[in-house]
Amino acid sequence: MNWFANIKGDRVIWVIVILLSVVSMLAVYSSISTLAYKSGTGNQMSILIKHGITVFLGLVIMYYVHKLKFTYYSRIAQIAFWLSIPLLVLTLIIGTNLNDASRWLVVPGLGISFQTSDLAKVALIMYVARMLSKKQNQIKDFKSAFLPIILPIIIICTLILPANFSTAALLFAVCFILMYVGRVNLKYLGAMIGIGIIGILLIILVGKYAPDLVPRFGTWVSRIENFSSGNSEGNYQANQAKIAIATGGITGKGPGNSTQRNFLPHPYSDFVYAFIIEEYGIFGAFGILSLYMLLLFRTIKIVTKSENTFGGLLALGCGLLLVLQAFINMAVSVGLFPVTGQPLPLVSKGGTSILFTGIAIGIILSVSRSIEEDKKGGKFETA
Amino acid sequence: MDIKRDILKRVYLMYGFFLLFGIAILVQVFRIQVVQGQYWIAMAESQTLAYKNIDALRGNIFADDGSLLATSLPTYEIRMDLKAEALTDDVFKKGIDSLAIELSNLFKDKSAREYKLELERARKAGERYHLIKRRVTYLELKKLREFPIFRKGRYKGGFLYVQKNERARPFKILAARTIGYDREGQKPVGLEGAYDKVLRGTSGKRLMQKIAGGVWMPVNDENEVEPEDGADLYTSIDINIQDVAEHALMKQLIKHNSDHGCVVLMEVETGLVKAIANLSRNPDGTYSENYNYAIGESTEPGSTFKLISLVAAMEDGYLDLDDSVDTQGGQVQFYDRVMKDSHEGGYGKISVQRVFEVSSNVGTSKLIQKFYGKNPQQFIDRIYKFNIHKPLDLEISGEAAPRIKKPKDKDWYGTTLPWMSIGYESRLTPLQILTFYNAIANNGKMIKPIFVKEIRKHGRLIKKMPVQVISESICSKETVKKAQKMLEGVVENGTASNLKNATYKIAGKTGTAQIANDKYGYKYESKVSYQASFCGYFPADNPKYSCIVVVNAPSNNVYYGNLVAGPIFKEIADKVYATNLKIHPPLSIEKNLAVTPISKNGSKEDLLVVLNKLNVKAHGRVNENWVKTNAKENEIEIQNLTITSGVIPNVIGMSLKDAVYILENKGLLVKVVGKGVIKNQSIPPGQSVQKGNIIILELA
Repeated sequence: MNWFANIKGDRVIWVIVILLSVVSMLAVYSSISTLAYKSGTGNQMSILIKHGITVFLGLVIMYYVHKLKFTYYSRIAQIAFWLSIPLLVLTLIIGTNLNDASRWLVVPGLGISFQTSDLAKVALIMYVARMLSKKQNQIKDFKSAFLPIILPIIIICTLILPANFSTAALLFAVCFILMYVGRVNLKYLGAMIGIGIIGILLIILVGKYAPDLVPRFGTWVSRIENFSSGNSEGNYQANQAKIAIATGGITGKGPGNSTQRNFLPHPYSDFVYAFIIEEYGIFGAFGILSLYMLLLFRTIKIVTKSENTFGGLLALGCGLLLVLQAFINMAVSVGLFPVTGQPLPLVSKGGTSILFTGIAIGIILSVSRSIEEDKKGGKFETA
Repeated sequence: MDIKRDILKRVYLMYGFFLLFGIAILVQVFRIQVVQGQYWIAMAESQTLAYKNIDALRGNIFADDGSLLATSLPTYEIRMDLKAEALTDDVFKKGIDSLAIELSNLFKDKSAREYKLELERARKAGERYHLIKRRVTYLELKKLREFPIFRKGRYKGGFLYVQKNERARPFKILAARTIGYDREGQKPVGLEGAYDKVLRGTSGKRLMQKIAGGVWMPVNDENEVEPEDGADLYTSIDINIQDVAEHALMKQLIKHNSDHGCVVLMEVETGLVKAIANLSRNPDGTYSENYNYAIGESTEPGSTFKLISLVAAMEDGYLDLDDSVDTQGGQVQFYDRVMKDSHEGGYGKISVQRVFEVSSNVGTSKLIQKFYGKNPQQFIDRIYKFNIHKPLDLEISGEAAPRIKKPKDKDWYGTTLPWMSIGYESRLTPLQILTFYNAIANNGKMIKPIFVKEIRKHGRLIKKMPVQVISESICSKETVKKAQKMLEGVVENGTASNLKNATYKIAGKTGTAQIANDKYGYKYESKVSYQASFCGYFPADNPKYSCIVVVNAPSNNVYYGNLVAGPIFKEIADKVYATNLKIHPPLSIEKNLAVTPISKNGSKEDLLVVLNKLNVKAHGRVNENWVKTNAKENEIEIQNLTITSGVIPNVIGMSLKDAVYILENKGLLVKVVGKGVIKNQSIPPGQSVQKGNIIILELA
């Protein structure tokens, strides 16, 4: 019970996390029943238990992360940032080839594989928040403010890009919003968008003429081509997701009654939102969406309360990372975006994703906790 | 605080953006559900999924020696999902050429080009269940799985297969009706039907999707639940004896233009049925296994029943073999009916043994009427003690129940007892009669006929079928001895003396019955219809096998049991005896029984093994593998037979087996004329070998 007493920070966020974890357990339980049918020997249980342990570990990590005063993360940000660069390079070179994308690195000795981009994401957000807060006084300047901020972003995103286009794009988008919120000169931000478009065109060119350099290029092109052409035969996954949504109706088919799970290749990860709508209907769709909106809202609440720019930007960055990813996942599920393979944070099955999500939320809570304690301590006056 | 206000302003703007994003997502959900709802729901309905049963591999039915009597051959239907989700243009284009070549090489039915065009067309048409080939063997399937594109599996390579099991009987007609079948919508027959549960196994499940045209396509690579193979049945059928039985029966049926017939051979001590043949004439004059007469047809048995009658009287102590009876002039009247012997004029006053040997109707019926006429129930009671009034309760369904009348029955007349005593007015199946005869052969112990020895699964014993005893003793040992003596007499000097032979003794009884047809009474096709039978066992001194032969409606005017059924019995018995060394009495070894045998030239090793076994001395110094032989008075002299490479050897005097081996190894083609020892070779020895030349060997 020591634990409950020690739970600090925004209680609403805690509740959101618990609720999403419950949804995650339900969704995974129901979506893996096909696998269980296959073996008929309690495999389902072992998958579920494994998932439950991961979710619980995520919560534990979250707890310890939130216990640490957020100012330490300024220092940790530097270490994590410089650590993630060689790790990403290593992953690109020797990473386990899953779906043709080298995203995974196996920890020697432990045999645990993890997605280095997950670490890099959090590290970069922390680092950008740190830089933004440090440079606030000369923030509109190019050389002393913009460059030191944008260069790390470009380095990390470029390293993630070859293996995982969507994560790189997502991370870049979060950093971009963070820079905008952090008052970086709009001129530069506008110019960056222009350069970004040129960069993407460059990648496409390289992919066309030297496909070996960018092995995932074919997948991207076909996904985007399928998406934009609306080819109903070719876009199998997206169509199956739409069928799931359409047949879900207002109240859904009920827990465990999905039929589309047999057609959706990853009902417990990429298309979990469509799967939730199929089983829980519009209510489910609205509920999940609201939870993420609420998470973002509570994060903003922290920003408004925060007297510390680093704390505010750090919390916002972490919140944005999760919520934008969630929105992209949902947008893919409902067919607004091309298929990307971004998991739904806290809900989708997948080890590293859940663990780093725990870290991100832990950081938000850490900031929130400091605010609470500062209030009590009366160290600072409220704005 | 300007900075903070600026930041907050931007944050709220950003939140507004997220709100819009969220609304867009919900609007899209709404669009999918309401605006496009009908379209997606219709699509959902078109892709109905269901778990379909996958039949397990049905167990095999084996003969006694492990030959396959019935087996399931799994065949596979190979399909290709050309719109498989991850089968990209890249993968397809890269692999299609080599896949087409591999397919063409494997099946050799179309050229690689044809395959390529076909698959490209199918991909263009978006076929999700394109048929590549039906009835593909497992070995071919294994190869197919390694082919380009296909090796990527279901999702990336579009490779699909559906297993279909086909039942095959490698020995075709042999025991076909007893092996039987189990087809959907038909009454199961034979062992397939009887042991269906054992053979069938447990079916597996596979998730299938219904696609256009009402076909079901598997969704995943493998079965969701693997089927569990059925167990195997090891029957007692001896395929060699079965072969002889079937052919002997067929020959006799054709010869006598009979309607149908059956043969059952059974092991005396165990009741194991070693052969069971049932043949009937088809409208086109051919014969085939259409009905299991041995089990399903009960008829008036005729004279084979006399054994039951006389054993009953002997067991009741009324009768001995030496008692005599007057067969009068071959004719006796019971009430309004006259009983006749087939032999005109009768046999005069003869012993009981003789009555049985000549199968006298008058003698038998007079005896039974004399002892039981006043109390027929006693006779019936005695017969009931032989258990022949009850069905055998066989594994195979369709057994006809026996009918033994009782004095209380409405159709019991004054003439019933005498006619019953010679095999009329009762109904028994061939197998029921055989079971009684087998009990006599088995010293009174009645054994139920069984067809299955063991049930095994993947070679592991699951169940061993025990010997099933119907009755430990149907009558006293003395009575059995008398019965056996009568049966031996029939072959020694009675109606079946045509079966007598010097090598081993047969005991048995002929039967010739006029048969009642359900519609026409005792006349069928305006003629009297007959049933010829022979039931017995061998070797009579130490009975190992019992056998019954029944031939129905032989129509070429020969209808006596000994002439129609007897030869079939003899042929089978000869075969069984010849191939079964265990039942041969040991030969008394006399010295100098034979002079030194003459042996053929050939392999030294083979020769020495045989000579050693026969205790014949061989002499000579040889170091080659091939030897010449020369029979001397007390020993065989052997000499080297040199085979020089590239030169035609001398094979005259050699056994054919060795000659063919040597010559064909040299690249020659051997043709053979005649049989015996090689007397001449078309290419003389010493010539050089021309590969591919034909050499003709004359044997004499």
